[in-house]
Amino acid sequence: MIEVKNLSKRYGQNIALDNISFTVEEGTVVGFLGPNGAGKSTTMNIITGYLSASSGVVTVGGYNTLDNPNEVKRLIGYMPEMPPLYPDMTVREYLNFMYDLKKVTLPRQKHINEICALVRIGNVYDRLIGNLSKGYKQRVGLAQALLGNPPVLILDEPTVGLDPKQIIEMRNLIHNLGKKHTIILSSHILPEIQAVCERIIVVNQGALVADGTQEELAHSLSSENKLLVRLAGPEAEIRSALKTMKSVAGVESHGEKETGVYEFAVEAKGAADLRRDLFHLAAKRDWPILSLRSTDLSLEEVFLRLTSADYRKGRAALKEAMKGGKTA
Amino acid sequence: MNAIAKRELKSYFLSPIGYICVSAILLLYGLYFYQVLMSRSSSYIASAYSIMFIWTMMIIPIITMRSFSEEIRNKTDQALLTAPVGVTSIVMGKFLAAFAVYAIATVGSLIPVTVIGIFSSPSWALIFGNFFGSLLYGAAMIAIGVFLSSLTQSQIVAAITTFGVSILLIILDQLTSVTSNAVITKLIGWISFNTRYQPFTKGIFDISSIVFFLSVIAVFIFLTARKLESRRWS
Repeated sequence: MIEVKNLSKRYGQNIALDNISFTVEEGTVVGFLGPNGAGKSTTMNIITGYLSASSGVVTVGGYNTLDNPNEVKRLIGYMPEMPPLYPDMTVREYLNFMYDLKKVTLPRQKHINEICALVRIGNVYDRLIGNLSKGYKQRVGLAQALLGNPPVLILDEPTVGLDPKQIIEMRNLIHNLGKKHTIILSSHILPEIQAVCERIIVVNQGALVADGTQEELAHSLSSENKLLVRLAGPEAEIRSALKTMKSVAGVESHGEKETGVYEFAVEAKGAADLRRDLFHLAAKRDWPILSLRSTDLSLEEVFLRLTSADYRKGRAALKEAMKGGKTA
Repeated sequence: MNAIAKRELKSYFLSPIGYICVSAILLLYGLYFYQVLMSRSSSYIASAYSIMFIWTMMIIPIITMRSFSEEIRNKTDQALLTAPVGVTSIVMGKFLAAFAVYAIATVGSLIPVTVIGIFSSPSWALIFGNFFGSLLYGAAMIAIGVFLSSLTQSQIVAAITTFGVSILLIILDQLTSVTSNAVITKLIGWISFNTRYQPFTKGIFDISSIVFFLSVIAVFIFLTARKLESRRWS
């Protein structure tokens, strides 16, 4: 449905987007994750035709955003980070205006009423937008995006500024909308992405750093599998013993968890399975293993790792190496 | 285009700006028509319109200052630019709404004219020449104002720069007396709104002036559309 190819955007010397490519299939909910200033909004603005790219191609529903901007815009419902609301209009006037502006052909009153019921703004329908609370403004912004039932919805931080109850409502709403629409949703809030998105695209400093389902991301990054083990015995001795093991990359002591029981995080080299070795070591020294589990990376850890300076350095080095290889 | 023009016109009259501008123009027309009545000759109606040239040029910046700058500041331009509407029709919508505000005021000036017409027999050709001319130079000035407001997100800056252009256009004619260079004099005569407006005050339906004002409108609507589009490229 949406295809983004080698998209770059420069603001003068500043590179906002650096060669981003991804595709979104029809009917999927994709989460766009990244720290502030990563290029999420820029990407969305380019897809919706508000900005244009310095280079690269975006096609939506088979239409190129540059050649057929109006066809693309008709397919997309866009809710920018700051909903484009006119404070001097009532919700009724605003939705009717947007209905005209978007050249919607569905039966006017019925369609607007349906949307109002869906995002629950019926009770503020005749109030001035300028007097509404942030949560209601956000919902009016979403209502505006839904006008005309566009097959693609692009929501830029839809839950920003909402209270916890409204956040949950908004997430449920997006989840339900995801059954009928293709949605791209940006956020820097992880649980949100986790709750509603089938696929996650992580961007950082204008570059795409990961693309996949949550499990895939966690898996690809936790390759240096870590084990959390609790052993009963003398701390210092266990520590040095663990360190001398063959396939151990690092040992971190988490201190005494119960009397005489210490917890260690043991990181393995590569894909080595440490569990058996650990058992044999503990059995030989007579240190009972009281618990043993692997630390699966949470989305939060995935995110932090992907956007950390070390990871970026590694990637840059990899890129350089690849370039070198090509020229050689 | 219709949706934008409708919304924009509504919003002029939801804020005080629409009322202030319309009533200011009508008040000034009222004042000058009062003087026409005092002078007891309907032939002075033309002079009422030509005095109004300066006032209109001063009031139009206030009408146009908000048209795009407010959208840019509130980021509502995102709604307009991501809707399936071309930039030219967005600009046309804005222009038409601002022009409608001005036209309402100018049409209002026909009320005293009608009253005078009932009790005397003024030269209608002269009056309609003036009326039509006022609409034309007003529309041209509005197109310039709309363009200038698309350059900034501050209404104040938009108003002041448009004022600057207005004042320049008003004093342009006086510059001819300063210079004796024939080329510059001719050039000033070419671009001066006042010179272009003069034929209308004499009741002459001057095609070249009409074409001039319409071209100014077209050029600035075009420039505004390009400016809006260039935001995408910056």
